[in-house]
Amino acid sequence: MFFHIVLERNMQLHPRHFGRHLRDNLVAKLVKDVEGTCSGRHGFVVAITGIENVGKGLIRDGTGFVTFPVKYQCVVFRPFKGEILEAVVTMVNKMGFFAEAGPVQIFVSNHLIPDDMEFQSGDMPNYTTSDGSVKIQKDSEVRLKIIGTRVDATEIFCIGTIKDDFLGVINDPVTS
Amino acid sequence: MPRRRHDDDDDDLEPEEDDVLDDDEDYEDEDVGVGSSRKRSRSEFIDDVAEEDDDEDDDDDDEDFGGSRRGSHRAKRRSGSEFLDLEAAVDSDEEEEEEDGEDDFIVDAGAELPDEDDGQRMRRRPLLPQEDEQEDFEALERKIQERYGKSSHAEYDEETTEVEQQALLPSVRDPKLWMVKCAIGHEREAAVCLMQKSIDKGPEVQIRSAIALDHLKNYIYIEADKEAHVKEACKGLRNIYAQKVMLVPIREMTDVLSVESKAVDLSRNTWVRMKIGTYKGDLAKVVDVDNVRQRVTVQLIPRIDLQALANKLEGREVVTKKAFKPPPRFMNVEEAREMHIRVERRRDPMTGDYFENIGGMMFKDGFLYKTVSMKSISVQNIQPTFDELEKFRTPGETEDGDMASLSTLFANRKKGHFMKGDAVIIVKGDLKNLKGWVEKVEEENVHIRPEMKGLPKTLAVNEKELCKYFEPGNHVKVVSGTQEGATGMVVKVEGHVLIILSDTTKEHLRVFADDVVESSEVTSGVTRIGDYELHDLVLLDNLSFGVIIRVESEAFQVLKGVPDRPEVVLVKLREIKFKIDKRVNVQDRFKNTVSVKDVVRILDGPCKGKQGPVEHIYKGVLFIYDRHHLEHAGFICAKSHSCVVVGGSRSNADRSGDSFSRFANLRTPPRVPESPRRFPRGGRPMDSGGRHRGGRGHDSLIGSTIKIRQGPFKGYRGRVVDVNGQSVRVELESQMKVVTVDRNQISDNVAVATPYRDAPRYGMGSETPMHPSRTPLHPYMTPMRDVGATPIHDGMRTPMRDRAWNPYAPMSPPRDNWEEGNPDSWVTTSPQYQPGSPPSRTYEAPTPGSGWASTPGGNYSEAGTPRDSTPAYANVPSPYLPSTPGGQPMTPNSVSYLPGTPGGQPMTPGTGVDVMSPIGGEQEGPWFMPDILVHIRRPGEENTLGVIREVLPDGTYRVGLGSSGGGEIVTVLHAEIDAVAPRKSDKIKIMGGAHRGATGKLIGVDGTDGIVKVDDTLDVKILDMVLLAKLVQP
Repeated sequence: MFFHIVLERNMQLHPRHFGRHLRDNLVAKLVKDVEGTCSGRHGFVVAITGIENVGKGLIRDGTGFVTFPVKYQCVVFRPFKGEILEAVVTMVNKMGFFAEAGPVQIFVSNHLIPDDMEFQSGDMPNYTTSDGSVKIQKDSEVRLKIIGTRVDATEIFCIGTIKDDFLGVINDPVTS
Repeated sequence: MPRRRHDDDDDDLEPEEDDVLDDDEDYEDEDVGVGSSRKRSRSEFIDDVAEEDDDEDDDDDDEDFGGSRRGSHRAKRRSGSEFLDLEAAVDSDEEEEEEDGEDDFIVDAGAELPDEDDGQRMRRRPLLPQEDEQEDFEALERKIQERYGKSSHAEYDEETTEVEQQALLPSVRDPKLWMVKCAIGHEREAAVCLMQKSIDKGPEVQIRSAIALDHLKNYIYIEADKEAHVKEACKGLRNIYAQKVMLVPIREMTDVLSVESKAVDLSRNTWVRMKIGTYKGDLAKVVDVDNVRQRVTVQLIPRIDLQALANKLEGREVVTKKAFKPPPRFMNVEEAREMHIRVERRRDPMTGDYFENIGGMMFKDGFLYKTVSMKSISVQNIQPTFDELEKFRTPGETEDGDMASLSTLFANRKKGHFMKGDAVIIVKGDLKNLKGWVEKVEEENVHIRPEMKGLPKTLAVNEKELCKYFEPGNHVKVVSGTQEGATGMVVKVEGHVLIILSDTTKEHLRVFADDVVESSEVTSGVTRIGDYELHDLVLLDNLSFGVIIRVESEAFQVLKGVPDRPEVVLVKLREIKFKIDKRVNVQDRFKNTVSVKDVVRILDGPCKGKQGPVEHIYKGVLFIYDRHHLEHAGFICAKSHSCVVVGGSRSNADRSGDSFSRFANLRTPPRVPESPRRFPRGGRPMDSGGRHRGGRGHDSLIGSTIKIRQGPFKGYRGRVVDVNGQSVRVELESQMKVVTVDRNQISDNVAVATPYRDAPRYGMGSETPMHPSRTPLHPYMTPMRDVGATPIHDGMRTPMRDRAWNPYAPMSPPRDNWEEGNPDSWVTTSPQYQPGSPPSRTYEAPTPGSGWASTPGGNYSEAGTPRDSTPAYANVPSPYLPSTPGGQPMTPNSVSYLPGTPGGQPMTPGTGVDVMSPIGGEQEGPWFMPDILVHIRRPGEENTLGVIREVLPDGTYRVGLGSSGGGEIVTVLHAEIDAVAPRKSDKIKIMGGAHRGATGKLIGVDGTDGIVKVDDTLDVKILDMVLLAKLVQP
């Protein structure tokens, strides 16, 4: 799920950036530092949308760095248990398949794939229904439900299922 | 403690007993009345104490008709059984049986003696209850009550308090217990002999009692006041070895006689393990229990060698090897028939089931049904593994079987199994399938808060009716069983079995719900047994080798070093010979040198296209770790020839590739004692190769030691294992963990500690390789620059620079040179350093944030180009070999070369030449010499041997094919040949250094150094093996 929230961070800025463009530099550094990171609590920081407030800078002894508390608005993405997501299959093996929804990796075990879908090994491993009408392979788009998340400090890993109504393949990969 | 009571009684009794014995004979003949009353009194009290009078009566009757002598014998027997009773009173039924046995034993012995009928009959009569003796009876009863009533109360009263019990414990004043050795298997006999002796000898024998315990072989216990009494009593008994009499400490005396409760009742469908025989250790399922005969029928997976069986049945000679244990396999009746083994189909009269009978063994559904003694199976602490249970699961079996295994499992649960807050489900009884949470645990009962509404707040449920409950998505940790320690997420719940997706291996594990707890921890489970750790390269027996890809409870899974197809074997600790910890380099398809930690891509085979760092190299086989590869813990095994170093060149003719591979050779002088962990070098030179081609500068970070500046791992140090865009995977030094951190959050100048600044590596006796180190140095700067602006970094950098370049700074590579004991060379080379040049470099650098990273590569090539054109360079002969030892040879050359160097170049001339010399491509300095044996590698052809006949001015060689050079003469490029490394005691030619051109004999090899005896001077020199080529005399 996406959230637009306000986060705070203490930014350290090199003295050489002081001057007219201090704020710009600060923001640029913030964007660089923060976007794409993942925190267990808030999830992935997708984008910074604005700066709420830049606090008073504090000069560090010895280094000359200045620490600014910066409050910024950002869009974060955090998967939740029970959430329905659309994801792209990145890898298929006999134990199930891995899919990615943006930065989040989701594993769908073969126990959580409908029973009528069978694993077909080969050049392009895939899960196919007995009649061959539905096929999950690399680059397929699937809709899945997250049933478990493991949140590390820097990574979120999920387990999903497509064994439910309205879940499964939504788009086959473009055949080339 | 009942025991002591009895002892006391004993004491009281003994004298009386003796009287009886003495008198008995008389009674028989004369005074029947008295004798009978006495007799009866005894039988009476036996009734009280032990319930065996039925047996006794039977025996009596038998004897009546059997006509054996009664009298004294009878009395003996009485007293004998008395002894036994007293000893056994604590015990249960089992003992009773034994007594029977002993009785028999005595009776038999007695039966041999002839006896007159009369006496016996007279004796017998009084035993029967008779009206006229009623009074006597009552009196006796009173007497007995008086004597024993109290004690029996104390013993059997259920309300005895602990304190009372305490009072019964033996004290220092009580007789002691002595442990005496006796013949194995004759423990009981020994005890009985002692009894016999005490009966025969009367008060002479001063011991109080003798005890033989079933579970204790080779020893009996004797109760006596003094050791001397024991010795005296044992004298003359051949079963007892009384030389050594050990005193049982008072504290342990109670243990001797306390009976182990055999609470676990054997019922059908419980899992047991066989204790003895071929099936020792095998899991078995109880199908029938015969409590009377103490036998059970178990279901087993047969371990039968059909061939051997066939041979045996046909009466052929069977060669039996004791050690051989056939693997468990289901019996296939058809197969048996094919082997002409007679298979009978019989109906079991008891159960009505049909069994196949083969050679006296019963089979059904492939299982062996075997009836064994209860003693040959172990019932307690059976933890069937999954595999075992799986095998037992026959198609017809349903939930029932499942429950059976459950009950066994539950019986083996540890204490404190349930914790407050655990989610549980009821698996038995009326409330089956009710879920809830544990609120409180009280011994056996667990109070749970049911999930359903309308139920009381808490329910007390027996522990055995509960099972832990998990839902898909829970993160759990396995706390017992074979997978102990692993963590993962629950993917599926099948009854009480969970399927877990392991965090580390991304594989499915099947575990019992009982074995796991909910946890947020992430671990990989056990990672080492003995000396071997996960991901170690190990040599197995039969000379195969492989990488440990998983550590199980007592075995390793090893991915064998068989390229082309992954072969995984399960090996036990003892099957591993040793850990291979060798640092070798091999060449990839394009002859780039590959060493450990280099990133390679697989070009063909089943894993084509995979890419990752090389973890191990052995016998030309690479073990590559690709973290995107899910099987075999990410390890891929491939031939070195089907891989290419990422960032290496496609063809050896390509200058950069060659040059870098060349010093890849150099950069791992094995003499450097370094921990494998700290062997980060691998990636670097190769990466700089990549840089040359304009690309992957960031990869240079791989292998370097960095410090994390920000984020949750702030302050940790670690080694970079992978770089992926903005994120860097760092193996932390302080934790067994690889974490992903932002590239910006690391600082890679961990000062001197950083291995790549460990000069010795480069300084190994030659300054030359030191210089190439500069090239990779730059990429290292790159991130620093990016992060860049930190004054700390700047600050750090400068001294580092100094260190690298200031010959006088400690720790600098030159210094190491110096330590090598070659100050002269140092002095001569130092001017080359042109003190001005490094600073100029440093000044050039500090523009913060400048795209420095991209420039140096260019710089160098530029630097290279003019040199190529310098005439001096073209003429420069081999001394510029990468590994010129000691650098001495450089001196003259560099002098001649100096003028050609563009002034102020940071590179000292020596270095420049060194790095560049192999790059010369077609024009490269002809450093091979005539008469040396070389490998010729040409694309599309087999490698052949040849001998260089002539070095042509255009840098090509005329080579005679064949190991003696006598074959066809071909012209080959420098890139297509490489020298054959000589072996010990080969004739060699020195291809570089001061002795270039000299011939000699290799008298020894020490790592990369060869010990050479030069022919001309007969000097013994130590030279780098790279410089030595095998000489073939024309």
